[in-house]
Amino acid sequence: MKILALALAALLPCLAAGLDVDKGKTMGDPAAPMLFELYSDFSCPACKTLHENVLRTIVQDYVRTGKAYLVFREFPLNIPAHVYSRPAAAFAVAAARIGKYQTVSDALFRNQQAWSVNGKVWETVAGVLTPEEQKRVQVLAKDPAVLAEVQRDVDRGMQAVLTQTPTLMVTYKLRQQPWAQFGDYSLFRGYIDALLKK
Amino acid sequence: MPFSKNKILQVAVVVLRVVLGGIFIYAGYVKLAEPWQLFAAGIADYEVVPMWAAKFLAHTLPWFEVLAGVLLIAGRWFRTSTVSTSLLLLVFFSLMVRAFAGGKEINCGCFGPNEPISWKTLVRDGSMLAVSLFLTAIAFRNRRKPA
Repeated sequence: MKILALALAALLPCLAAGLDVDKGKTMGDPAAPMLFELYSDFSCPACKTLHENVLRTIVQDYVRTGKAYLVFREFPLNIPAHVYSRPAAAFAVAAARIGKYQTVSDALFRNQQAWSVNGKVWETVAGVLTPEEQKRVQVLAKDPAVLAEVQRDVDRGMQAVLTQTPTLMVTYKLRQQPWAQFGDYSLFRGYIDALLKK
Repeated sequence: MPFSKNKILQVAVVVLRVVLGGIFIYAGYVKLAEPWQLFAAGIADYEVVPMWAAKFLAHTLPWFEVLAGVLLIAGRWFRTSTVSTSLLLLVFFSLMVRAFAGGKEINCGCFGPNEPISWKTLVRDGSMLAVSLFLTAIAFRNRRKPA
């Protein structure tokens, strides 16, 4: 029984991430013991803060050290103030298909205050791509498979009963726990370190 | 032989004491079984106390819940334990109502993680508060009129 549980625990990150995740939307070693799934909305100010201030530290502490495998998930909120979130998510997923997810998401978060108001999402995305990449991303952003990937992430988040963005879904030893408190990084670090010691 | 009203009340008090005490012990246990940071994050989500206070409460509150539960079940310091659980539940319930009415989609934090505040959690905690207030009233009534 214990062996079966250990085998399942070892397989979980692969099962969770390998089936429906574009490698362009991941960081780290898929065989890492812990899985982080970061649910974000490109229009959400707290997601911008996390992306620009805390994410680097999380990556440095847990992803680069092989302790966690990081998967980026789209969770565009269906509220009037976030009307451009879904197109932004589609462009980001399309960019992931050509290996430019990080470049595009950096640009989207950096210029969030502008495009989330004026709706110039494409202009923001295009600004960090070559003309050739622009053509490919424009086509991919309308691809039903890309749109379905965005929806799949949303459905996954809804199933996990996410209550806010950003939320980092932590999966470790067959257990999933959402974490959304990033105001004090030492709290997050303490929690993850305590889990890893279990 | 028919039960007297007093006898029924006595039995009901014992049953409610044990049930409420058991719930408190369980609530404390599930928090202690997880890294304390998880409960601290849950407290911080309510945005009522500063982070240092959330950390302090995360360390102490689960133990207090267990102690209150044990005292309730044991029937020791009945007035103190019922007043403590009533005050605690009054604070929890008020915070939950405040969060729910304010549209905050956060976890209740009552019995460990992953339990968003909903009508269900409000009814459950409201019922616990009602039971605790009833036991408190009995505890003080018994003080005035010893059985």
